[in-house]
Amino acid sequence: MSQSKHGPSNAFTIGFMICLCCGCALILAVLSSSLKELQETGEMLERNKQMLMSAQVYNTSGYFQIKAEDGTFVPAKHIGNGMLEPATENDLATTEDVFAVFERRIKSYLIKENGEFTTFKEEGIDESSYTREHEGTGYANLPLKLIYAVFPNEDKEFKDLNKAESFVFPVSGFGLWAAIYGYLAVANDGYHVVGISWYKHGETPGLGANIAAPWWQEQFEGKVIFQKDKAGNVDVANAPVGITVMRGKVSETLGDSPKAHSAVDGMSGATLTGNGVTKAYKETLAPYRPFLLRVNEHFKETNAS
Amino acid sequence: MSAAEQQLKGYFVEPLWKNNQVLIAILGICSALGITSGLQTAIVMGAAVTFVTGCSSLLVSLLRKFTPDSVRMIAQLAIISTFVTMVSELLKAFAFDAWKELSVYLGLIITNCLVMGRAEAMAKNVSPLPAFLDGIGAGLGYAFVLVIVAFIREIMGFGQLMGYQVIPESFYATAENPDAYSNFGIMVSPPAAFFILGALIWIANATNKS
Repeated sequence: MSQSKHGPSNAFTIGFMICLCCGCALILAVLSSSLKELQETGEMLERNKQMLMSAQVYNTSGYFQIKAEDGTFVPAKHIGNGMLEPATENDLATTEDVFAVFERRIKSYLIKENGEFTTFKEEGIDESSYTREHEGTGYANLPLKLIYAVFPNEDKEFKDLNKAESFVFPVSGFGLWAAIYGYLAVANDGYHVVGISWYKHGETPGLGANIAAPWWQEQFEGKVIFQKDKAGNVDVANAPVGITVMRGKVSETLGDSPKAHSAVDGMSGATLTGNGVTKAYKETLAPYRPFLLRVNEHFKETNAS
Repeated sequence: MSAAEQQLKGYFVEPLWKNNQVLIAILGICSALGITSGLQTAIVMGAAVTFVTGCSSLLVSLLRKFTPDSVRMIAQLAIISTFVTMVSELLKAFAFDAWKELSVYLGLIITNCLVMGRAEAMAKNVSPLPAFLDGIGAGLGYAFVLVIVAFIREIMGFGQLMGYQVIPESFYATAENPDAYSNFGIMVSPPAAFFILGALIWIANATNKS
């Protein structure tokens, strides 16, 4: 420390701060640019994993799954080219496996206002700039809405949307602190939930952040996104859409009323996050209704014939 | 052990318990309340804060002879923010899941009074080695408190440790057996950390007096 009465000169003080700030900025800039690739791979991997998880192709424990004859999901492993075959829970997937399976099974489509689908190629839109531009605000209110089709493991063409096993909707909304982003996979009947995930959020760790926890996400499986009527039927054209996160337990509040099929247990200490999730599902899914209606009609036709 | 070594050791050991920054100086309790509902996040947070306090104390001490008094606070803040951003970038690249878990709290280390407290109260007055040891000690002391609070909260609030169930499912109350064990709901919410922290402060004061 300078011993003079007036301390160091203004010029020295300003010079010192400029040097310090430039030094700090330089260190961070070098670090950030050298780690950028690793971070982007990390983010991409995370996003792919979450999408595969919502579609039940990948499990939170780190292995792949495929649908068995009876409709349940059994452990599987990657055998090359994105193909899966039954295996055990110990066959954990590597980063390359996740990318390969994602590449093969999941294709992106755009949904028009009338519920018809089109591709990025047909519309002449660049997918990466489209997602970059609209990720923050969500895709649901655009004239062309993003959707991902999950094709069955044994499919060969990956073109016919009618063959898709499930559809993944990018969901976004606001939690307590920040925007929340996730996926919701709906079965090819147009209303049963296959699974959900939240891949980006700023909720309180240990409380609202539990929306990203497997034990909380599991309860969405098998719920319906269109409320069942009293007879237990699902009217895709008119029923209220969405899944409600309750305050407390569903069984205590709703019992086994039709609403209970479209509701999940809330998290203690995270009511506001839960409300945000409820709103996100409602607002994201509503604009997709024409598409879901088409999916549902096709499903009914094929199952009737 | 020579007197000088003894003194150096003192810099490191003092803030672990006797002069624990959370329990004695009541610094850094904001994050102690926020992220202690799970043991794993508490450990990562403790490690991150230890790194930041250690490194920033070292750098503040190295620059202490040149730092003009009038801008010392802002200089310390710049140094601390640099290390915090560094931790955040590194975690994001190499431990994406941990980074995701801590989210906002990682950036909030910048405003953790403990880090600045050490820089202002110790690092700017002593030479680099003691400053570094003091920073590491203070960070570990903080981590220690966090781990205790998180341990109690996670085991009582969720019946788990590090995300693994430790209280057997069979102990829990069911519809048939409603009088059995159930998790303490309050342990999940931040006020529980207040109570535990209060109890720890009491213990620390009581033992330090004797």
